Amino acid sequence: MVFLMEENDRLLQPASQEERRRYYREEWDVKDIPEFISNSIIKREFGFDHMGRGPNDRYRVFRSMDLLRKFLRYRAPFAAYSSVAFYNKPRRREGWIKSELVFDVDAKDIPIRECGCAGVCEICLEQAREIVCNIMDTLKGDLGLKNIHVIYSGRGYHLRVFDEEVMGLDSDVRGQIVQYIIGAEVPRNEYAQDGITYKLEHFTIPFGYPKVFTERTKYAILHLKDHMLIDDINPKLLKDAIKNQEILHEDKWGMFKGKIGPQRYQRLIKSIAYLNMGLVDAKVSIDLKRILRLPSSLHSMVSMKCMEVKNIEKFNPLRDAVPRFVYERKV
Amino acid sequence: MVAVAFINPFSEEGRQIVRELGDLNSVYEENGNLIDLVIHSRSQDIADDESIPHNLIELALKRLEWYIRKKNNPDFDYKKYSYLYNPQITRFDVIAFYLLAQAISVKFGPNSRESRAMAECQGKIMESRIGELSIRDKKHLLNTILGSMLVGDVKWTIFADLLSSRKIRLSDLVMDQGSIILDEEEFTESFQDKLENRDPHKMYELLIGDHIKELILNKMIMQKTEDYITEVYKKSQRKVEPNPILLDLADGISEVLSKTYVSYGYHGTADENMEASPFNNDVFPPCVKTVLEGIKSGGRNDAIILFLTPFLSYARLYPDVFRRNITLKISDVDPQLEAVEKEILPLIYEAAERCSPPLFEDQPQEKVNINAKMGFGMHSDIELKHEGETTWYTPMGCEKVKLHLPSLCKPDETCKKIGNPLSYYIRRLNDIKYHKTDLKD
Ligand code: SF4
Ligand SMILES: [Zn+2]
Repeated sequence: MVFLMEENDRLLQPASQEERRRYYREEWDVKDIPEFISNSIIKREFGFDHMGRGPNDRYRVFRSMDLLRKFLRYRAPFAAYSSVAFYNKPRRREGWIKSELVFDVDAKDIPIRECGCAGVCEICLEQAREIVCNIMDTLKGDLGLKNIHVIYSGRGYHLRVFDEEVMGLDSDVRGQIVQYIIGAEVPRNEYAQDGITYKLEHFTIPFGYPKVFTERTKYAILHLKDHMLIDDINPKLLKDAIKNQEILHEDKWGMFKGKIGPQRYQRLIKSIAYLNMGLVDAKVSIDLKRILRLPSSLHSMVSMKCMEVKNIEKFNPLRDAVPRFVYERKV
Repeated sequence: MVAVAFINPFSEEGRQIVRELGDLNSVYEENGNLIDLVIHSRSQDIADDESIPHNLIELALKRLEWYIRKKNNPDFDYKKYSYLYNPQITRFDVIAFYLLAQAISVKFGPNSRESRAMAECQGKIMESRIGELSIRDKKHLLNTILGSMLVGDVKWTIFADLLSSRKIRLSDLVMDQGSIILDEEEFTESFQDKLENRDPHKMYELLIGDHIKELILNKMIMQKTEDYITEVYKKSQRKVEPNPILLDLADGISEVLSKTYVSYGYHGTADENMEASPFNNDVFPPCVKTVLEGIKSGGRNDAIILFLTPFLSYARLYPDVFRRNITLKISDVDPQLEAVEKEILPLIYEAAERCSPPLFEDQPQEKVNINAKMGFGMHSDIELKHEGETTWYTPMGCEKVKLHLPSLCKPDETCKKIGNPLSYYIRRLNDIKYHKTDLKD
């Protein structure tokens, strides 16, 4: 018990300038930068935050990995970023060629957070990981995307997609992809054929967007806790939804809806659709010129490594992304 | 059998018809075959000579007129336009289509409201025509046309343009591993295991069936119409003088599009004939009210420049922009720029001032962007001589707001009925107007 307390005191604290220096000198290796950056380094813009006041040293370019290595070693920045965009003239952010398709899942912004903590903690980081897995399934199964890299960002995850056919898409299409994969809209429940209208609830349709919506909604409902305050869901409705969570474990949606009542059910899923908007930060996905934290760099606010995750199923940031200097801190 | 070009003017058959036209001057000549066909179309109303097109130019204008009337009043009397539903009109109709598209290209260019109206008109005509076909003809045409446009495994990414312009929504498509499922066999193969005890045929018919095919075809042709207008526009830029026949037709098009057709015995939607009038801040939508109070956190610049500026300028000067299909410049409605200087800019500046940090304090150059969004180019002062260097941005729709500036959108009851903050404003203004008349009664 005592040991754990100490452990927590060490973790997730800001890194001092001395710690940053040590990190980049002793622990960091230029080889930790993923290939998807190194093989396109001359096309990307880099940005740095030296003082912890935001990335205002922008428009940087590096002609080789070695120059980037020297820069990071020597400057040990508070934070390092690179563009999702590829440019012909990265120094001026001109001559846009294409941009990675990215999704940003931040543990502290998850709409239905079990922990309710102020920053990030083990619980919401685990939730973020689950959400990333769910989104990956949709990106692969529905949209057929294959070249997806997962990055632990320090406080959540970045999904970075490199399939050529999506790298040229504009913001509007990216916005629609976001809405699709997070279930931001209640699917229609009336379908007509030859003048007759049939009612089909989302959970009776096991494919396409209704399926995605059903999965996200299930995830949300199963994470509801009675202390939560949610727009349009009054305490009674929240209580009833929680009381019937068991039923959803077995996917008995019809029964769940019956218990809640049809009108209240509509209200519930509408609010959840609205909350789902917060699963990823849409602004990041639609911004073609965004800069994202550089994998292998240090997230100095929380003293965590930003790093590529090879096996998201087994990843545990508090085990795998904590730099050595943190363990050597005196409590 | 119904001709493919009746639905798709871009088909090989359609292009062939145009090639055979020959002399462009003939489009003004009285066309006996056309008149004959019109008069003998099923249930055509011939009481009034005005409703019969006598040549191809008149036919072209009638097409648009049909669209505008239908848009303003879904219950209007089709009998005056029955010939548009007659498959035999195809060879005249295709020429009329190309005349319209070319006239719009040379006079108004792509991305104009006229070009959008043209694409929408084509979409509606197609939809109505397909609706009148027998099930057999319909299936046959859908499959033939789609079959020639979409070959092999169709990835959703080929619809990037349609998704971008929101003609199609990603959630309308049923996809498996990136491929769009249109075919019943494919559907059954992909999803059979998941369907459990549901009837695959029924599920296919309801969720995909002809209506998704029709939707895709319809939107593809609308997109092709816009692309065609762009293409002609680019070519016409190289020529010195456009053909006077097309310019004449363009004037006719403006006239048709600007007419508001009064419909009798029908109330019309509340937001018809909205006139420009001073602001009524009380009935601004929640998102606008939020920005007017000043933005304290992220999205400040976009909220003021991309969102508020177009909203306020249109709300004040051209509130029914979405109902009328005409591109206007600010000076068309505010020639002395008085409303701009005395009403619109002050409101924008006040909102900018209330932000933290105040917008112009750290980024005074952003004033230029505000001017640009109103069509006055990238200059620090608003001057008539610069008008037109940039376009007057139309207000963002709710969906865009929710994505780009989610913190602004706090929907209330009225929001459920609208798709654009501007429609919200007009709706509420009308509520007040009609309420007042009630009181007088
Ligand atoms: S729904 Fe539309 S009008 Fe209403 S607050 Fe949101 S953006 Fe504004
Ligand atoms: Zn937490």
